[in-house]
Amino acid sequence: MSDTLIRTENLTKTYGRGGATTHALRGVDLSISRGSFSAIVGPSGHGKSTLMHLLGALDRPTSGAVHLDGTDLSRLDSAGLAKFRGRKIGFVFQFFNLLRSLSAAENIETAMMLSGIAPKKQAERARELLALVGLSEKADARPGELSGGQQQRVAIARALANDPDILMMDEPTGNLDSAAEEEILNILFELNQQGKTVIVVTHNLDIARRAQSIIRVQDGQIRA
Amino acid sequence: MTLTSLVIRNITSRRGRFVFTLLGISIGIASFVTFLSLGGSLKSEIQRESAALGANLVVTPKGSCAYEQVAILTGEQLPNTITGEEVAKIRAIDGMMAIPFLSERSAIDNRPVAVMGILPAETMEFKHWEILKGDYLADGDETGVIVGAVAAEQFKLQPGSEVTIRGERLPVRGVIKETGGKDDVTLFLPLPLAQRLYNAEDKASYVAVRVADIENLELYAQKIKEVVSLGVITDKQMLKSVLSIVGTVNVTLQLIAAVAILAAAFGIINTMMTATYERKREIGILQALGARRRTIFSIFLLESGLYGIFGGALGVLGGLVFSVLAAPQISSNHFTAFVKGSASSGLISPGLVFGSIAFSTVVAIVAGLYPAWRAAKLSPVEAISYE
Repeated sequence: MSDTLIRTENLTKTYGRGGATTHALRGVDLSISRGSFSAIVGPSGHGKSTLMHLLGALDRPTSGAVHLDGTDLSRLDSAGLAKFRGRKIGFVFQFFNLLRSLSAAENIETAMMLSGIAPKKQAERARELLALVGLSEKADARPGELSGGQQQRVAIARALANDPDILMMDEPTGNLDSAAEEEILNILFELNQQGKTVIVVTHNLDIARRAQSIIRVQDGQIRA
Repeated sequence: MTLTSLVIRNITSRRGRFVFTLLGISIGIASFVTFLSLGGSLKSEIQRESAALGANLVVTPKGSCAYEQVAILTGEQLPNTITGEEVAKIRAIDGMMAIPFLSERSAIDNRPVAVMGILPAETMEFKHWEILKGDYLADGDETGVIVGAVAAEQFKLQPGSEVTIRGERLPVRGVIKETGGKDDVTLFLPLPLAQRLYNAEDKASYVAVRVADIENLELYAQKIKEVVSLGVITDKQMLKSVLSIVGTVNVTLQLIAAVAILAAAFGIINTMMTATYERKREIGILQALGARRRTIFSIFLLESGLYGIFGGALGVLGGLVFSVLAAPQISSNHFTAFVKGSASSGLISPGLVFGSIAFSTVVAIVAGLYPAWRAAKLSPVEAISYE
């Protein structure tokens, strides 16, 4: 019996008001185990990203609750949610993940700065993380000087900066060629092996097939 | 990485906009500093001239207004309506020393110069001049001229050379050591000679009075008014009324500068608003990385604050350079002629420098409040979903 890291209760999210409301999520109950690799799949516009935003403390549900590692997220204020994200969750998005005016190493350091880590320690850990994703020699490169795959590897390194329990990714390989995609996936599975809980929103059936559990979202509900 | 280095990277990564926004605030502050320092030197110059006049009381033609009082301090041409008879009556009062001056203007090589008719011996006692070259006007000298140090240099005059005033060639006897005031740019003639050259027989422009007993200044003013029907003003009253004119001029100049700074403030608001739109995605990423609203707010406010500090420093530098360059131009205007030579004195005060930079920073921070609030108000999802 693996212990539950994330649990939702009747999670609903509604956008808009009056006649033009959109029901993005309609009563989602799910649980995600610690150390698992989950894929959230489903058609576009059916609530995948909304679900990830709610699980990742980026947004608040219209009703229902998210319990993450024993914390009821609805009890946290906006500053509390920000702090929670910074410590517990590492995000990787599909596009334009990196801050363009900063180098690869500085992007990683920024995540640590926001958690209040001293500059000297930031630089040290940024070097380690770049080595982990195989980009030691690109520490001073700006995002514009990196390939799409390299940028995503920097984004993963940054997501790991504060040693979070959970990695949440929204189509992390969505705009990469298959070689770069394979590199990214290898890193993700290795991180999962090391104990990180990984949640990936994806259209890619290949990733879904390799995941431990698949969460299918359709019309704002979970389909078995 | 620190918050400040993050902000500096943000600013400098868009160089064109950085430079133009900076120029906006710099120009505003530069005009502010220019007007303030010119106004300040005008004021200190007037105070110095008032002290250099060395009089406790000044007797002016009846009905003189503030403009004539300015002219006494600046060496401008004055109506010469005080008669020799009136001067004699004033000089007859005990316990004070009264000296008439005839203030006129001439031109050498088409450049204006102040000409002053004086009583040599008594004026010397009044002003305590030191002689740089040659001799002072001797008793009974009816044709000689002595020259202020700056005028001597400007017109290449020295003992032994000649100067033409009103068509008459006059020998230069000596040069007065620099006083830092308008005497430096004046030619001094014996009073009778000046009266003859300017067809002002037996006339004077004003009478400077120094009393023995400063406590009874008002009493002496009263005595003068009893014997002649002329205006009498104390040095303090004169200073006050002249400074109030200068103050009005200064306020006007500062209002113009304020408009420039206001325009610059809107430039900053515009730049920062554009930045909040452009960096929406980046704001979302920072929020996902754990940045609180307060942090986002600080980042944007710090950015506009830095515009204020850099722009202020650049503006102060530009303003000081401009006022040093502008001072000679302004001195060719009659009314402000005496600003000349004062460009370096009291202009670069630490108070002005730091005050202006602080002012610029405060303006920039205030201008940055709304954009920073807008940026901080973004929800993470809204910011991340923006492409």
